[in-house]
Amino acid sequence: MPVFLRFSRGVDALNEWIAGRVIWLVLLVTLISAGNAIVRKVFNTSSNSLLEIQWYLFSAIFLLCAGYALLRNAHVRIDLITSRLGARGTAWVDILGTLFFLLPAAAMIAWFSWGVFVEAWQSGEVSANQGGLIFWPARLLVPVGFGLLILQGLSELIKRVGFLTGHLAAPVTQVDGPSEEEALAEEIRRTRKLDANEGSAEGGAQ
Amino acid sequence: MIAFLTANIAPLMFGAMVLLLLLGYPVAFSLAACGVIFGLVGIELNLLPATLFQAMPDRIWGVMSNDTMLAIPFFTFMGLILERSGMAEDLLDTIGQLFGPIRGGLAFAVIFVGAMLAATTGVVAASVISMGLISLPIMLRYGYDKRLASGVIAASGTLAQIIPPSLVLIVMADQLGRSVGDMYKGAFVPGLVLTGLYTLYVIGVTIVRPKWAPALPAEARTIREDNGDVGLRSLFVLVAVAVAAALAFMNTALPAAIMSAMRRDVVEHVALDEAIVIGMCVWALVAYVCAQANSSFKLGLLSRMAERFTFVLIPPLALIFLVLGTIFLGVATPTEGGAMGASGALFMALARKRLSLAQLRQAMESTARLTTFVVFILIGSRVFSLTFYGVDGHLWVEHLLVNMPGGHLGFLIFVNVLIFVLAFFLDFFELSFIVVPLLAPVAEKLGIDLVWFGVLLGINMQTSFMHPPFGFALFYLRSVAPRAIRTTDIYWGAVPFVLIQIIMVCLVIAFPQLVNVGLDKTQEVDVDKVEINIQDDSQPAEVPSELAGSAPAAEESAPASDAGNDDIMKSFGSAK
Repeated sequence: MPVFLRFSRGVDALNEWIAGRVIWLVLLVTLISAGNAIVRKVFNTSSNSLLEIQWYLFSAIFLLCAGYALLRNAHVRIDLITSRLGARGTAWVDILGTLFFLLPAAAMIAWFSWGVFVEAWQSGEVSANQGGLIFWPARLLVPVGFGLLILQGLSELIKRVGFLTGHLAAPVTQVDGPSEEEALAEEIRRTRKLDANEGSAEGGAQ
Repeated sequence: MIAFLTANIAPLMFGAMVLLLLLGYPVAFSLAACGVIFGLVGIELNLLPATLFQAMPDRIWGVMSNDTMLAIPFFTFMGLILERSGMAEDLLDTIGQLFGPIRGGLAFAVIFVGAMLAATTGVVAASVISMGLISLPIMLRYGYDKRLASGVIAASGTLAQIIPPSLVLIVMADQLGRSVGDMYKGAFVPGLVLTGLYTLYVIGVTIVRPKWAPALPAEARTIREDNGDVGLRSLFVLVAVAVAAALAFMNTALPAAIMSAMRRDVVEHVALDEAIVIGMCVWALVAYVCAQANSSFKLGLLSRMAERFTFVLIPPLALIFLVLGTIFLGVATPTEGGAMGASGALFMALARKRLSLAQLRQAMESTARLTTFVVFILIGSRVFSLTFYGVDGHLWVEHLLVNMPGGHLGFLIFVNVLIFVLAFFLDFFELSFIVVPLLAPVAEKLGIDLVWFGVLLGINMQTSFMHPPFGFALFYLRSVAPRAIRTTDIYWGAVPFVLIQIIMVCLVIAFPQLVNVGLDKTQEVDVDKVEINIQDDSQPAEVPSELAGSAPAAEESAPASDAGNDDIMKSFGSAK
C-alpha cells in the first residue's frame, strides 16, 4: 500500500502543479479575445490565427485541468442516493465508477485520439482557414489531457481503497483554505467592518 | 433475449443512463461510460458499425473548436472578478438608502440591484451572498418578515440565470444549435417582465401585509446634506436633465451616424433596441459628466445622494454596455462581449485596488474548474449521443413525445412539468446537457421556434436554484444568513417566487411575442453574419460590403431572417 499511496501523492502533486500553471491561460485567452475584438473593430483587420489560438487555449484549459478537476472533486454528481450512503458507501461508488466508468471511457478516448495526433503530426495538418494554425499541438492536448485524467483516476482509486482499508483518514483530498463562496463572504465581512471602523459614509444604518 | 435486446436497445439504454446517473458517480463519466457500454453491445449485435468509436476524437474536436462554449470561461471569469470589486456592495448601500424609506423599499432595492447585477454577469452565488450579507441584516433590523426577506433575496439572485448574459443561455444555444446572440435578445424582455412580477408581488405584500415590509425611518438615510436634507430633488432634476438630453440626442442624426461608423456601413434607420442602447449611454454619460464636474469643481449644485447614485450606477451600466450593448448593437459576438466584459471587470477591480494576486489566482482557478466540469459533461453527453443516435434513440424519444395527447400544447406542458420536477434534483448544467438535447429535435419537428423554446426552458430551470431543499440559491443564502433566520424560513420564503416562476412560464407560452419582440430585427442577422464571416472569410475587409447587401433584405421579410438562422444551423452542424 505505501508504494501506491506514494504514487497517488505524486499524481496529485503533478496535476496540482500543472493546474497552477494552466489557470493563467484563463487570463491570457481573455486578453487575447478582447484585444482581438477591439483591433477587429478599430483597425478593421483580424487574423484567423488569433481566432484559432483562442480555442487552442480554451481546449488547453479544460483538457489539462481534467485531472485537477477530478482531484478537487469538482465534477457534478446526482447525489440523491449517495448523500444517504455515508463516506464508506460513497467511497465504494467512486471505486466502482472509476473502474467501470471513468477508466475505460478515458482510456478509449486517449487511445483513439493518440492515433489522430500521430496522423496530424506526420501529415503536418494545418487549419483550412487562411493563415490558420498547425493542428498537431491541439490534437496532442486530447491524449495528454485524458492521460492526466487516467492518472488522477488511479490516484483517486488508491485513495478510496486506502480509506476503506484504514490507511487514509479521508477518502478525498481536503482542499486547504475556504471555497470561492466562503472567501467572498469573508471578504465582504472584512471590508464592511473596515468601513464601520473608519466611520465612513456607509457606517450608520448599515 | 438477443432479439428483445435488439428491438429495445434505445429504451434500455435510456433506462440504463438514468440508473447510472442515480448511482451518484460524476455525471460526465457515467454518461460517457453508458455510451461506451451500449456502443460495444450495439457493435456486438451488428446494430452499429464496428468503426463507431473512431468518431470519438472528432466529437471531442468539435467540442474544442466550439466558439459558443468559449463564452463560458469569459462570463464566469467576469463574474468572479466582479464579485470582488465591491460593485454589488456599493449598489446595495446606495439604492437601499434611496428606496428604504418607502414601504417595501428594501425589497425593491434588492430586486433592482439583483436585476442590475444579473445584466452584468451570470453568477448566482455572488448576488445571493452579497445581498444576504448586506441587505438581509438591515431588513431584519427594521422588522421585515423573515420569509419575505430571504425569499426576495434568493429569487433576485437567480435573475442572473435568465437576464443575459447568463451561462445557461450559452449552453442552451449550444444544445439547440442557435446563436447565443439570439438567445440573449430573446431572453431580455422575459427577464425584465419577471423582474416586474417580483416587484408586483412585493407591492402586493405591502398592501395586504404592510407589517411584513415596513418603511425605514427617515434617519436610516445617512447620505444627506449638511443641513439634513436628503437631496432627492437634486437627484430628480439630474435624472430629468439627463433623460431630456438623451431624448434630444436621439432626435438628431447622430445615432444613425454612430451606428454607421460602428458597422462601417450606411445605417439610415436605427432599430428600437439599438436606439435604447445608445439613448441609455447618452443618459448615463450626461449624468456622469454632471456628477463628476460637480464633485471635481466643488460646484455644490448636486446633492450627495444624486452624486453617489450616479457614481454607483456608472460601473454596472458601463459593463452592461460593454457586454450586452455591443452584442445587441451587433458590434461584437457574444464570445467577444464576454472577453471584453471580463477585461472591463479586471480593469475596474484594479482601478479600485480591490484585486490582489491571491484573489486573481482564485478567480482563475474557479474559472478553470467550472469550465472543465461543464465541458466534460458536454463531452460525456457527446459520447452518449454518439451511441444513442446510432441506435436511433432520438427517433424513439421523438415517437414517444410527438404522439403526446394535446399535440403542441400537450408537449409543452409535459416538457415543462418534467423540467420543473427534475429541477428538484438536477442543476441547470445537467438539465441542459442531458434533457434538452432529447427534447430539441421533437420541438423542432413540432414547428416550435427553438430560441423561444430555449428561453422558456431557461425560465423554468431557474427554479432549480429555488427548489427546497437542494436549490443552490437557498444553500448560499443559508451559509451567510443570520442565525435568527431558520432554514425553514428560507424554504418557505422561496415558495411564492417559485409560483411566480410558474406564472412566468405560462405567460411565455401564452404570449410568445414576449420572446420574439427582441428578435426579427435586421441586426440579429448581422451579428450572425459577422460571426460567420470572420470565421470563414479569409478577407475580413470584405465583410461590410456583404452586409450592405444582405441587411435590407432581411429587414423586409421574416423568411429572410429564417434563412439566416438556417445558415447558422448548418455552420453549427458542421462544427459538431
